[in-house]
Amino acid sequence: MKRRVFLAGTMAAGLVTQARAANPIRIGAINPYSGGPALYGDETTRGYELAAAMRNASGGVLGRQIVIVRGNAATPQEGMAAVEQLSGTVDAFIGTFISAISDAASEAALNNDKLYWETNALATQLTARGLPNFIRSGPDSTDFARVSVQAITDVAAKSLGVAPKDLKVWVQHEDSIYGTTIGKDQVALLRKAGVQVIGPNPYSARSIDQTDIILRARNASPDVWLNTGYTADTNLMLRTARDQGFKPKAIVVTGSADTFETRDSLGKEYLEGILVATFPRADINPSYGPGGAEYLAAYRKAFNRDPIAPQNFTAYTGALILFDAIALAGATDHPKVRQAAATMDKPLGSYPNGFGVKFDDTMQNTRAKPIVGQWQNGVVVTVYPEPAVPLGGKLVALARS
Amino acid sequence: MASFAGVLLAGVLLGGIYSLVAIGLNLIFGVIRVVNFAQGEFVMLGMYATVVAYTLLHLDPYLGMLLVFPLLFVFGMAVQRFILQPLQNEPMMQIFATFGMLMLLQNVVLAVTGGTAVSIRTPASGLTIAVGPLQVSVARVVALLAVTVVAVGLQWALHTTMTGKAVRAVAQDRRAARLMGIDVERTYMLTFGFGAGLAGVAGALLTPIFTLTPQIGGNFILPAFAVVVLGGLGSVWGAYIGGFLIGLTEALAGFYLDPALKQAVWFAIFILVLVVRPTGLFGVVGAEEVGLRVQE
Repeated sequence: MKRRVFLAGTMAAGLVTQARAANPIRIGAINPYSGGPALYGDETTRGYELAAAMRNASGGVLGRQIVIVRGNAATPQEGMAAVEQLSGTVDAFIGTFISAISDAASEAALNNDKLYWETNALATQLTARGLPNFIRSGPDSTDFARVSVQAITDVAAKSLGVAPKDLKVWVQHEDSIYGTTIGKDQVALLRKAGVQVIGPNPYSARSIDQTDIILRARNASPDVWLNTGYTADTNLMLRTARDQGFKPKAIVVTGSADTFETRDSLGKEYLEGILVATFPRADINPSYGPGGAEYLAAYRKAFNRDPIAPQNFTAYTGALILFDAIALAGATDHPKVRQAAATMDKPLGSYPNGFGVKFDDTMQNTRAKPIVGQWQNGVVVTVYPEPAVPLGGKLVALARS
Repeated sequence: MASFAGVLLAGVLLGGIYSLVAIGLNLIFGVIRVVNFAQGEFVMLGMYATVVAYTLLHLDPYLGMLLVFPLLFVFGMAVQRFILQPLQNEPMMQIFATFGMLMLLQNVVLAVTGGTAVSIRTPASGLTIAVGPLQVSVARVVALLAVTVVAVGLQWALHTTMTGKAVRAVAQDRRAARLMGIDVERTYMLTFGFGAGLAGVAGALLTPIFTLTPQIGGNFILPAFAVVVLGGLGSVWGAYIGGFLIGLTEALAGFYLDPALKQAVWFAIFILVLVVRPTGLFGVVGAEEVGLRVQE
């Protein structure tokens, strides 16, 4: 009798396991895979796919394999359409490289009663909306503004041997919601730190000539030039500054100019010493972010090259945090995941890129910190915060003249 | 004073870029009477072709131009022959077709490049010369000189060569030109090919200055439309001078007013010109109906 019960139990357990294996957790990845931002949209989703593959290799989540399903969204409208299209076949959504797409897609996800887990979009108002299905594991634009200001007050000022209040900073940003939000926060934070601020100075990222704003900046003779933009316009801005002989003592760039695309445009000699406020990179000190090296090895093995952009590492980490939240919730429906995520309390350095987890009331992760990197001999090296600096890494001179 | 001179210089050099893109657009509009929305994408193709020539054949962009022009010329002729000519009697459809081409070309290049931003560094790209207290980008000066040569050359060709005269004849009266024995379809193909070739030349000349993305053409086409309208529909010199007007307006507004408002300023002028003088500053009354008029 006991033997029969044991056999029946074993078979039942086997059937459950089979059912679970045959019933994976399907997660819709909403990102642009066509149009201008496709490169970074692709790179962001590769982070999810890498995290899923690694977690699947160790048994998956809740005994189920994870499947990432791509939903192409190059515009907010396409984001909504992709969510509507996938809602019947996925358990939750993850994204996004662009805030405007995240904004629309997460609303659509709520209409379909699905979780929307945000890893990379920065706009502060995404969490401020208070959507019950929306959780952000990555930093927001205020975090980027803060770290770019720290690049000035904690890194540049020390390197130049002056007090922050003696620095004059020119603040400029591209004029979409992305640049405007960060620029506004930068000005407020710099003023709070007692720094002399000239700005904000908005510009159009679509303009094919930036000489006017560079001449204005040059005339103001700032010690530090702080720019927030996208890749192509920042490259043009830096080229124009070079051509016009604009040489502030320090240059700080937020959110771009941190990939080979900028190095190819300007050359490593010009970039030497420029500071970038950016997502954490794989070179961070293992004591700050345990697993950077493993992540890098896995990426290289999967894609046969180095990561294109640091967005991938943050997406990868964000997906790992999601899997932990689902495991803790025992389900994928958004009220349970939200409840479970709210109880997560992991210190900084718990995840491969140095993130910890502690969500505030709006479900913004307060332990997701960008870093400051510096161009050194053609590569970006992490130089701030100090615990994140890789072994043997150090700040090099900022001066451009 | 140095600032004012610097801004003027920046405006003139920017105007050279705008003129370069607008001349081909105006030629196509003037003769075939098609507003080619894909002209910016032709510039983009010229840029990518220049990068390919630079990477694979180690051709400097200024030499690569000699390869890019015929490539875009043939491509333009094919577009005219196989896409626009079948729609010859449906002008609205022709405009939609050029818009479709815009999307097609952008997405093809996106698929091929994966969207990666591409730059090349040539001897000219980082080179500047000092003019008193001002620094001048050599690549922009080359673009300015090139557009001047193109404008003069085009004016000369339209006046003196048989092909140029045929182009003018077709532009003035297609039916009469046909009755005089001119092959109208061939003239259209040559004109569209030449307009596309000029876009290719513009692309080659601009490659040392910009970081390329599949969307970069869109950044050129809006100002180019403004240049064409401001300078004069169908006028070669109108496109040339209109470029400088827009360039100077943008530079002065960007420096003295607000960099974020500079495009709004020339769009305001664009609308004003459309209302007050629809033919543009150098255009001829009725050009939007009858096409190209070479300024005497």
